[in-house]
Amino acid sequence: MLKFLLERLLQLVLVVFCVATLTFILVRISPGDPATIMLKANEVPASSEAIHALRSELGLTNSISGQYIEWLQQIFTGEWGESFVSQKPVINELFVRLPATLELALAGLAIMLAVTFVMGISTAVYENGLADKIGRVLALLGSAIPTFWLGFLCIYLFSVSLGWLPSIGRGSFENLILPATTLGLGLGTVYARVLRAHMLELLQQPFVKASRARGLSKKRILVFQILKQALLPIVTMVGTSFAFMLGGSIIVESIFSWPGLGQYVIESINMRDYPVIQGYVVFAAILFVGIHMLVDFIYLLIDPRLRV
Amino acid sequence: MKKWYKRYITWFCMALCILALVGCSAKEEQVSALSKEENENTATLAFSWSPSGLDPHSADSWEIMRSGAAETLIKLSKELVPEPWLAKSWEQVDETTWLFELQENVKFHNGKAMDATAVKDSLQRAIDNHQGTKDLLKIKTIEAVSKTQLKIQTTEVNAALISNLADPGTIIMDVDSLDSEDSYPAFTGAFVVKQFNQDESLIVQRYEDYWGDKAKLDEVTIKYISDANTRLMALQSGDVDGATDISVEYIEVLGKNEQLEVLTAQSLRTHLVMYNMDSPLFKQLAVRKVVDSLIPRQEMMDSVLMGQGTVAVGPFSSILQFGQLDQMEENQSVDGLMEQDGWSKNRDGLWEKDGKVFEATFLTFPQRPELTVLAEVIQSKLLEQGMKVNIRQVENIDETLVNEEWDLAMYSMLTAHTGSPHFFLETFYKTDSASNMNHFASRTVDAMIDEMHGTTDPEKSTELAIEIQEEIAEEVPHSYIVHPNTVFAVNKDLQGFEALPIEYYYNHANIDKE
Repeated sequence: MLKFLLERLLQLVLVVFCVATLTFILVRISPGDPATIMLKANEVPASSEAIHALRSELGLTNSISGQYIEWLQQIFTGEWGESFVSQKPVINELFVRLPATLELALAGLAIMLAVTFVMGISTAVYENGLADKIGRVLALLGSAIPTFWLGFLCIYLFSVSLGWLPSIGRGSFENLILPATTLGLGLGTVYARVLRAHMLELLQQPFVKASRARGLSKKRILVFQILKQALLPIVTMVGTSFAFMLGGSIIVESIFSWPGLGQYVIESINMRDYPVIQGYVVFAAILFVGIHMLVDFIYLLIDPRLRV
Repeated sequence: MKKWYKRYITWFCMALCILALVGCSAKEEQVSALSKEENENTATLAFSWSPSGLDPHSADSWEIMRSGAAETLIKLSKELVPEPWLAKSWEQVDETTWLFELQENVKFHNGKAMDATAVKDSLQRAIDNHQGTKDLLKIKTIEAVSKTQLKIQTTEVNAALISNLADPGTIIMDVDSLDSEDSYPAFTGAFVVKQFNQDESLIVQRYEDYWGDKAKLDEVTIKYISDANTRLMALQSGDVDGATDISVEYIEVLGKNEQLEVLTAQSLRTHLVMYNMDSPLFKQLAVRKVVDSLIPRQEMMDSVLMGQGTVAVGPFSSILQFGQLDQMEENQSVDGLMEQDGWSKNRDGLWEKDGKVFEATFLTFPQRPELTVLAEVIQSKLLEQGMKVNIRQVENIDETLVNEEWDLAMYSMLTAHTGSPHFFLETFYKTDSASNMNHFASRTVDAMIDEMHGTTDPEKSTELAIEIQEEIAEEVPHSYIVHPNTVFAVNKDLQGFEALPIEYYYNHANIDKE
């Protein structure tokens, strides 16, 4: 177990180093000068003196290699620099917005899991029945409908037309329903098909025949014997999806004006706020690696064969 | 097996209890919010741009000004004429010295009295913190002469000083209030900051000790919604009472809703085409004149901007005195002008010179999508006349204009953000200015701009600004297309919200709700 943890920690350090380097290069070669963009935020002309002064203040006049070394030092000492726009430490800026993203990600995950299990089990139990057919259509729609469209559709239906739920913002339980549904629904319908397929595949196993021979019903075998084994691939997908949601569901946060990491990073990209973009990518990389470590750990718990 | 059932039922019941608790708490919040709304006169507005903080001497100054919490020494009227605000009056002592008489009985939001020393400290901080403000004001010294008198000396004659003191970058604040981490910065406006939720909202409430007419609304919540569609739907659903920056294509939809009202104002923005004066194709005046004469301005305004704008004659909006120019008519035909410059049409109907077909690179950028559509209209008009144009969309227009080769470019700029022509003419047309990106060079224009800077008489200054524009127009370095309207939409219950050309004063004391 210790070896497992050490290996994964070493992987984490390597991933962070590579991601930090790659992000630094990509951000620097992408077009756009932060000083010009910041000064022309309101489309007012800016003098060359103003642009130069701001570039110098932001440290953009230093050599690229100097900026890179400084950035690496900051990453591994836990100081991720200061935002060009707010002049506040990047790490604080990210952590301030993390609770909102965490809230949305957990709610989205809950909806995704609910849809996955309800639809997955019912479509497996009633294979080729009405529920299965409906599930197939929903999975098709879930994978085909873009998130932004579903988001706008939800706002139009439940806020503008029916007036049941607020269209924007964070605060109450009602505020959470539409963005979480937009985030979790599509993925849930797709994962339900995956769960169904695994459950039906396991139905062909000899132990199922043995159980049937002992007189257990198909439903009981599916729910109490097969479901646990079918969870393994779902855990991987859930882990990846959760990491993606935690990294900031950029589109959903933008549409619902949700004050989380996703919306913040969009604004930072628009403003070419280099320290925030770089910090965010490293943060997301750590999240992904961390959650994958957790998923591997859960694997060990679910499937005792892997412990050998 | 029974154990499994029991465990599931227990978990299910617990989940239901949690959901019920969350639901109830949300309901309670809603009920308390409703009863609060019944007792208080509140409104919610949706703005598009979220400030990163409440420091007024930064890039966030515009958003702070728009909240109604802050004020400057000078205010711009609907006609963009400088009016007294925190400065009661002013006089020019000599060419570079101005004396301001400040309003009495003004209190910052922390209760501290606003005097000349506080104003001096605030202005000094504004200059020290933001090079843009320093460029606008050109201040050498600031002196508190008495409690209510402030003397400002500029480094050179700055005729635009009064107008530029209306720039939100000069917001007056109690500088000491920034030291306190427990409270928000203290301004002087009719509303005081109650709560700032980063990326989400700014809540301001009526300031009871305000020196002027007190705000009619008890509280205003400003929600920051960057997505234009969401902003529109928040308005339609009643989540907000008013929204800014409404896209013109939504005007028709909003018009059908009886509860909503669309407000428009001619903006101080100008969409224009830039000619690269160093480009082999456009260094000749004749070709620039040809393209200028072929731009179907009215047609573009009607079709692309759906009539929401004014055809541009010069760089400045016609609502400004110095923007009232006469349209210059081109008497020569396209063929005449092209042939005069040595071009001839080939068998394909394209213009050709020295064996090379006329083929130009036309830059545009995605941040203002309408500009690309305008470019496409121009492209088709020019092709009809035998001029081939290739449109290239670039992510960063300013950088491309400086670093790469191009012939034509779409551009958009707020040309008179303080109601004065000085800053724009200087940064855009002076030969050595970094913002003079199409390399327009005219010693005559340079000298005239310098002369205008030294002219403090408003009438003479306006005359000079018009003369400068006429001189520039002779050279056609740009083709001005349209001054687009700014579009707002409000619930009809919201009263007093005005669509103004100046984009500083969205929330103000006279806004009320039925």
